[in-house]
Amino acid sequence: MSKKSPRVPRRRFLQTAVTAAGAAVMAPTIIPSSALGRDGFVAPSERVVIGGIGIGNRGTYDLGCFLEQKDVQFAAVCDVKETRRLAVKKIADEKYGNEDCKMYRDFRELLDRSDIDAVLIATGPNWHATMAMNAARAGKDMYCEKPVTKNISQSLILAETMRRTGRVFQAGTQRRNLPHFAFACELARTGKLGTLKKVFAHPAGMQAMMSGWLVPETEPDKEVVDWDMYLGPAAWRPFNAKLLDGFNFEKGGGLVGGGVLEWGSHCVDLCQWAVGDCPPPVEYDAPKDGQLVARYENGTELIFRETGWIPLGSCPVRFEGETGWVEAGDSGKMVLSSPELLAGRTVDEIGGYPATYHVRDFLDCVKTRSQPKGNADAACNAHIACHAANIALHLGRQVKYDNATHQFVNDEQANRLRSEALREPWRV
Amino acid sequence: MNIPRNFKHALTILGLTLAVTIPSVHGFDGPEASPEKEQELLTVLRSDAPSGDKAIACKNLAIYGSSAAVADLAKLLPDAQLSSWARTALESIPGTEADEALRTATDSLEGKLLVGTINSIGVRRDANSVETLVPRLQHADVEVAAAAAVALGRIGNAAAADSLRKSLAAAPANVRTSIAEGCVLCAERMMAEGQSAEAVAIYDEVRAAEVPMQRIVEATRGAILARGQDGIPLLLEQFQSPQKPLFQLALSIAREFPGEEIDKALVAELNRPNPDRAALVVQAMADRPDTVVLSAVLEAAEQGPKEVRLSAIDALGRVGDLSCLDALLKMALDADADLSQTAKATLAEVPGEKIDSQVLALLENAKGKMYPLLLQLVGQRRIDAVPELLKAIGHSDKNVRSAALIALGETVRLQKLPVLISQVVSPKYPEDAPVALQALKAASIRMPDREACATELATAIDGTKAVPTKISLLEILGAMGGPKALAAIGAAARSTDAQLQDSSSRLLGEWMTEDAAPVLLDLARIPTNPYNIRALRGYIRIARQFVLPEEQRAEMCQKAFDAASQTAEKKLVLEVLKRYPSVDTLKLAIKAMKVAELKDDATQATLVIAQKLGGKGVDVKSLLVGAGLDKVKLEIVKAEYGSGATQKDVTEVLKKQVGDLPLITLASASYNTSFGGDPMPGSPKQLKIKYRINGKSGETTFAEDALIVLPMPK
Repeated sequence: MSKKSPRVPRRRFLQTAVTAAGAAVMAPTIIPSSALGRDGFVAPSERVVIGGIGIGNRGTYDLGCFLEQKDVQFAAVCDVKETRRLAVKKIADEKYGNEDCKMYRDFRELLDRSDIDAVLIATGPNWHATMAMNAARAGKDMYCEKPVTKNISQSLILAETMRRTGRVFQAGTQRRNLPHFAFACELARTGKLGTLKKVFAHPAGMQAMMSGWLVPETEPDKEVVDWDMYLGPAAWRPFNAKLLDGFNFEKGGGLVGGGVLEWGSHCVDLCQWAVGDCPPPVEYDAPKDGQLVARYENGTELIFRETGWIPLGSCPVRFEGETGWVEAGDSGKMVLSSPELLAGRTVDEIGGYPATYHVRDFLDCVKTRSQPKGNADAACNAHIACHAANIALHLGRQVKYDNATHQFVNDEQANRLRSEALREPWRV
Repeated sequence: MNIPRNFKHALTILGLTLAVTIPSVHGFDGPEASPEKEQELLTVLRSDAPSGDKAIACKNLAIYGSSAAVADLAKLLPDAQLSSWARTALESIPGTEADEALRTATDSLEGKLLVGTINSIGVRRDANSVETLVPRLQHADVEVAAAAAVALGRIGNAAAADSLRKSLAAAPANVRTSIAEGCVLCAERMMAEGQSAEAVAIYDEVRAAEVPMQRIVEATRGAILARGQDGIPLLLEQFQSPQKPLFQLALSIAREFPGEEIDKALVAELNRPNPDRAALVVQAMADRPDTVVLSAVLEAAEQGPKEVRLSAIDALGRVGDLSCLDALLKMALDADADLSQTAKATLAEVPGEKIDSQVLALLENAKGKMYPLLLQLVGQRRIDAVPELLKAIGHSDKNVRSAALIALGETVRLQKLPVLISQVVSPKYPEDAPVALQALKAASIRMPDREACATELATAIDGTKAVPTKISLLEILGAMGGPKALAAIGAAARSTDAQLQDSSSRLLGEWMTEDAAPVLLDLARIPTNPYNIRALRGYIRIARQFVLPEEQRAEMCQKAFDAASQTAEKKLVLEVLKRYPSVDTLKLAIKAMKVAELKDDATQATLVIAQKLGGKGVDVKSLLVGAGLDKVKLEIVKAEYGSGATQKDVTEVLKKQVGDLPLITLASASYNTSFGGDPMPGSPKQLKIKYRINGKSGETTFAEDALIVLPMPK
């Protein structure tokens, strides 16, 4: 009776003294032992050189995870805001005890550096897909924050671009490397809950939005805030300081997702994993009574609800099969229909954090060229589910999606919402 | 031809990717929305409406517009502010009119606007635009030339491909990379359409061109996969490339390449002289679980350079089977700690019921170091082997006993739990007690029937006289939680033994469910209990942290006030009141103002609660007046936020928030957000305020993000 919790996907053979705790689990292999000093120092030639683009609040959290890894050299920061450039440089320079972190206002200059292996993209979601594809064309691997794409077309092009360019892409869906979420998904995926009937995502703030631009304000100097670069691929609108909150930026224009995209990129992504990362649902009903029901090809329902049943932290997921259910959230905890599902383990033993696992997964895949948990194909499917649900919300009626043609069935209005033009000169 | 499975998928996606960006030109009679809707939107475009309105009209025309809207949208293409809004509609409106409008616009536009228009042509894959785009490959503006190259690549027909191929060699270096990108896009499309020979020709031309390494990587990937099984030699060539990106590409393709021939070919790569690379190759081999040559991975695990061995041992965790067990067990006992640890981790994970059965079979006659290793595996793999474990806990070798106890902790069921309890309460070998305790805890907290398990432990506590043992068992109960555990710990807290009182009150203070509240309050009310203050603080913690009905929380606060004999605990209660504003908590705070030593804190709490309630529309005026807290006239004279010499004037922000209480609530709990940014990132900041209340001047300072309650000037 091999009843094991899902392993956190780290290549053990790559493990070395890579954690800040310095407690090396085992000696390095890929990294030659000769390259290591007594303190687990990793030789510069063996490090993954990282550049950070758009490092605000979330990016700073990610940056901390990267800086914990001793085989990382964070070499450069790019941000359209001077205060962020300075703040990140300070963090990096203090970490390394030097003044080496270079600052850029234009990310293309950072991508031009041949010594940079990979980039952390943590701009506002407006930039994510365009930036990621620019990075791929420049030969960089990337860890890209979520939501990754703005529409269905971008989702498909993202997956195709990463495949064609051979780059390693990790969406910032760190839940895929958090043990309790991984455990819950594995229960669903491997039939431990019986035939899977319903998967629930709880993206608070379910509404599709279409809004205009805000009152113009005096545009700051480019060195302080480069507004043109901040807008990037988004359709033009005048400067307004309220739009400088990256996460909410897209509320300034276009059809945007509200919670379905912002939180859906967390919890719908997990539902996708629970159903085996299969193609996204094919039917999306009109929203009713605070929920939106979507159906996969095999009849399993993906249900978008505002909040979960059990207080398990923000944006929980719940998977219901014929014989059991499990619910898990950001608290790091989960609740199950039967303790038998734990197969002799406890919720605490399975554990919930740290989120550093996701960064570690990415770095290992940069070295091995394997596919990380949040790879572009997985992100593509999850984001299509979110975008399609948003289109149903926006139109206020059912839409049907054909995964073979990637078009909505006999639905011109929905099909036209699959993409939007990028502001010149940007392209994906 | 035999297209690789994953490549087929890739090609499908490519086709779909491009298809999704094309409006369904054929068979479309216009959107379902009425022409009136379209006309309304066009009226906005034709008017003097603000640009913002026109932008949203464009966005709506992307959904509701038809060819009738094209001319008005095209007029916006030269508008730097509205061009991309218009292109969103033009990209999605079906019909040749939009194509023609975009093509025509390229005649007059320049710079970025021309680039954007060409990008839109690429999105629409307008085959008739090839003649328009080809001359732009020689455009003086590099961005225009690059956009034309990629747009031609997206169109991807024979004419586009021919023009790109002809331009590849002669183009300036800064344009050549985009032409190469266009070529690769054409080749991908040809592959998707089954024209693999043509695709190979293009890929090879790009590989031979003087283009950046990333373009070489993309072309090489296509060249390998487009050749099908004939691509294996080219793939193997990349494994030997001195260029790291090409070696990395080989690792990536090796995982997606179809068939079994590649698995055999990879075996040869393991024997190359570069062990760092071989270690990576073996990982790629293991990522092909259906066709991996397992014997080769096993051989690499058993002998050769250490780097490769470690990688191969790790890989066996994913693809190993029963045939690997003996070798892994041997390696787990290797003198090299790295090899040993890696092998042990793999043994714990390698899948297969047959391995479980074999571990059990080997256990019967195990000796020496093999015996504890197998016992350890029993625990890690959760193998049902309780009889064997019970036998092992009586072994003369301490290592064997320890391994057996730990495994027992992982696998024992309730019926056999007393065996573990007895190893804690009355161990045959006293040195086993700590391990037995660890095992008992592991077993207890995973027991499905928690209450039955707690009953067993409570009985054991009653049955032993050794206080340290009682405490150990109580701590296990504390980790488990539940009503029976709570009752047992509560009883111990009321005992006369000081050590039991100490440990039990500590456990109760950390209890994770609210049912500990009455137990804690009872203890707090016992004046002679040396831990009554600790108990009271635990009680207040529940009121502060747990989700409770308003009335229950207020009642708990009142009881805590009554039970508190010291000011410190009473102040803790005030903190709870502030955190949960309600009329009940407001009344309690007002009541506390009458206690002399609490007057200032209670006044602050009252103001905070009152303001929060006021913000929700609750009328608290009469309660405040009754408490002597009439309205005040508050004036902000000067306010600065920052650190050291860097100060930001936030006077106006605060003035906007002034009400009729000596309290200021900002738009956000974060000062930085409320004051429009962080004036000194990374440094501790303060907010300094000069103010007047009812004409009297005051001055005070707050730490970053502190609650702003202004003291009454004296």
